[in-house]
Amino acid sequence: MSNQKKRNFQIEAFKHRVVVDPKYAEKTWKILEHAIHEIYNHNASGLSFEELYRNAYNMVLHKFGEKLYSGLVATMTSHLKEISRSVEAAQGGLFLEELNRKWTDHNKALQMIRDILMYMDRTFIPSTHKTPVHELGLNLWRDTIIHSSKIQARLRNTLLDLVLRERSGEVINRGLMRNIIKMLMDLGASVYEEDFELPFLEVSAEFYRGESQKFIECCDCGDFLRKAESRLNEEIERVSHYLDARSEAKITNVVEKEMIENHMLRLVHMENSGLVKMLLDDKYEDLGRTYNLFRRVGNGLSTIRDVMTSHLRETGKQLVTDPEKLRDPVEFVQRLLDEKDKYDKIINLAFNNDKTFQNALNSSFEYFINLNPRSPEFISLFVDDKLRKGLKGVSEEDVEIILDKVMMLFRYLQEKDVFEKYYKQHLAKRLLSGKTVSDDAERSLIVKLKTECGYQFTSKLEGMFTDMKTSQDTMQGFYANHGADLGEGATLAVQVLTTGSWPTQPSITCNLPAEMSTLCEKFRAYYLGTHTGRRLSWQTNMGTADIKATFGKGQKHELNVSTYQMCVLMLFNNAERLTYKEIEQATEIPAPDLKRCLQSLACVKGKNVLRKEPMSKDIGEDDAFFVNDKFTSKFYKVKIGTVVAQKESEPEKQETRQRVEEDRKPQIEAAIVRIMKSRRVLDHNNIIAEVTKQLQSRFLANPVEVKKRIESLIEREFLERDNNDRKLYRYLA
Amino acid sequence: MKKEESVKLISAEGFEFVIDKKAAMVSQTIRNMLTSPGSFAETQHREVTFPEISTTILEKVCQYFYWSLQFASGKETEFHIEPELTLELMMAANYLHT
Repeated sequence: MSNQKKRNFQIEAFKHRVVVDPKYAEKTWKILEHAIHEIYNHNASGLSFEELYRNAYNMVLHKFGEKLYSGLVATMTSHLKEISRSVEAAQGGLFLEELNRKWTDHNKALQMIRDILMYMDRTFIPSTHKTPVHELGLNLWRDTIIHSSKIQARLRNTLLDLVLRERSGEVINRGLMRNIIKMLMDLGASVYEEDFELPFLEVSAEFYRGESQKFIECCDCGDFLRKAESRLNEEIERVSHYLDARSEAKITNVVEKEMIENHMLRLVHMENSGLVKMLLDDKYEDLGRTYNLFRRVGNGLSTIRDVMTSHLRETGKQLVTDPEKLRDPVEFVQRLLDEKDKYDKIINLAFNNDKTFQNALNSSFEYFINLNPRSPEFISLFVDDKLRKGLKGVSEEDVEIILDKVMMLFRYLQEKDVFEKYYKQHLAKRLLSGKTVSDDAERSLIVKLKTECGYQFTSKLEGMFTDMKTSQDTMQGFYANHGADLGEGATLAVQVLTTGSWPTQPSITCNLPAEMSTLCEKFRAYYLGTHTGRRLSWQTNMGTADIKATFGKGQKHELNVSTYQMCVLMLFNNAERLTYKEIEQATEIPAPDLKRCLQSLACVKGKNVLRKEPMSKDIGEDDAFFVNDKFTSKFYKVKIGTVVAQKESEPEKQETRQRVEEDRKPQIEAAIVRIMKSRRVLDHNNIIAEVTKQLQSRFLANPVEVKKRIESLIEREFLERDNNDRKLYRYLA
Repeated sequence: MKKEESVKLISAEGFEFVIDKKAAMVSQTIRNMLTSPGSFAETQHREVTFPEISTTILEKVCQYFYWSLQFASGKETEFHIEPELTLELMMAANYLHT
């Protein structure tokens, strides 16, 4: 009885059946019609399935399929009309329940009818292209009941009214609601969409438009968003409880549009509660909510990002340009770091670590840090401060964290070479005065700079460290050789610095006290004796000295002073009173340095080892100085305020600036030559672009300067202009 | 055989075949009879009368039910049909949707 065999013999089987009784069809149909009535009346228990099936089978077999089908349609329609009347008659709240009950009944009846008429479903319907029984039942239900004039509008309004009541907080029968919606979906997606979803979306839009209008008038941004969020969740929950899952996107879209998108700009710019306020107050929760809600709408995130960026730029600009705040560089950098931490945290906690936000943050920082030309200097000063004293008692990991943060700021700098310049100066001072707290921290920072900017950037800095090391060895060698004939006098520690590695300063030698200069000469002889072909010059402006002094009442102190101060103090071994002019003559210290050093010797309270006449804050040309016999201090060792790294004064700044510009020239030229060597021919604009790109890691090349360098290279016959196109340059090998 | 799991099939001549419900359900028609949501007489009494199927054929049909179950579970054997029964068997198969 496989399928194949069945097909072969089917035609023959039909032939055998010849109808005899002309009333046969009529009689059989009566039986079936009666059965359908009984089924609708819940009275099926007495019926024999086999008999009904056999009757229907025979009718189809005897070519009465058409009669059977049309009879079915007529019978079912009349039953549905009856149902329709009873549903219409249902009062108020019972309407939906009645509809639901009848729907369940109809479904059950429909299934039974389909079962007994299965043979028709199987053979007659496909061959005549009619609607299968089950679908027919649904269609009839749709046309006679749901789309009947008295029910269609009423059903829609009832459903929408229920939703509205639920939105305003009433509890409704969700189960019933779900059944009715399910019915609409069973009747086909188009029925659900037209009879419920579309009007539902329209009404919702209306509702939320009104509500958001109301809220925005009376709530602040945070409250509004809280409400929007809860509404959104309500709708999602509603969909999951009794609507079609496909409606979720549509209804959330409506809420998003009405509650967020239409009010977006007004919300973020709300005074005292908008985005800016949230950023200022670190409202992570509110910010997170804003992010999550705005993410749902088209350009929501870019709106937040724009507001954040402009706010950040604004505050950053204030931060870096406010002269009040520029007074203390360490404080200044600390503020930048705090600001960065603050926003990092916001992005991390509230903005889902969004990459685009991080980029916006970075570009904002880059923007305003470079607004202040002194940022490189200040960052270096900050590091200097940390490495001098700030890191005491701080664990190694914390040191790393601070250095990493500084590196992050460093990355934002466009003029990295300026930073290098200052860093070198500050490092030199730290190394020479022995003030650096941790060698490891210094080296770790150098390594970081190296990974960031390459070997070239740090090679000189590393050279400085090497010099310090070799100097130690040299001094050991010196004392091993001459230790015996040096006696008990002063001791000397020399740091031999390679020219070029260290920040060059015009070396103006002062007159050293006799004791010192003999010692220095001995060292010079020793050093030049061991290394041939070298030249030594003394950088007295960078040294320090420890001297022992006895004051009026016999109390002894060890004074830690700079070389200049030492020279000044030594003069008082042979004199009671010295005028400014006399000191200047004897020492030949440059005037600004001398003034500074006298000021720190005579005018700082608690450290005033000298007395000045007249007593005043500033050093005048006609002042006279005495040893302060009344000097007292709790400590045996007294550190006289020395040249602490400070912000540069205006002329110094200019000078550094000039030096930086000067240093850039060869770098720009080198870049041009490198580029032209590989490209051979290139036009002006492209050269500028390439040079800028190559030098980006160190500084932002100024196009005018690049042009000048190109001209200089043409003059020196590295390049030539193309004869036809003056904008084109050619590389001359 | 427990009562819940068996059904009685009655032929035109009145012969009764008591077989497993599972086997009977090989026929789509019988399956519908036994599982239709309304409580038809067949579902209540667990017996089906076939006034148009003779005993010989119904017997063969029942054999086929069991053979089909075995076949479905992977035991591939021949199902022998006597040539003189073929036509009537075909008709019964069409009726029973087997």
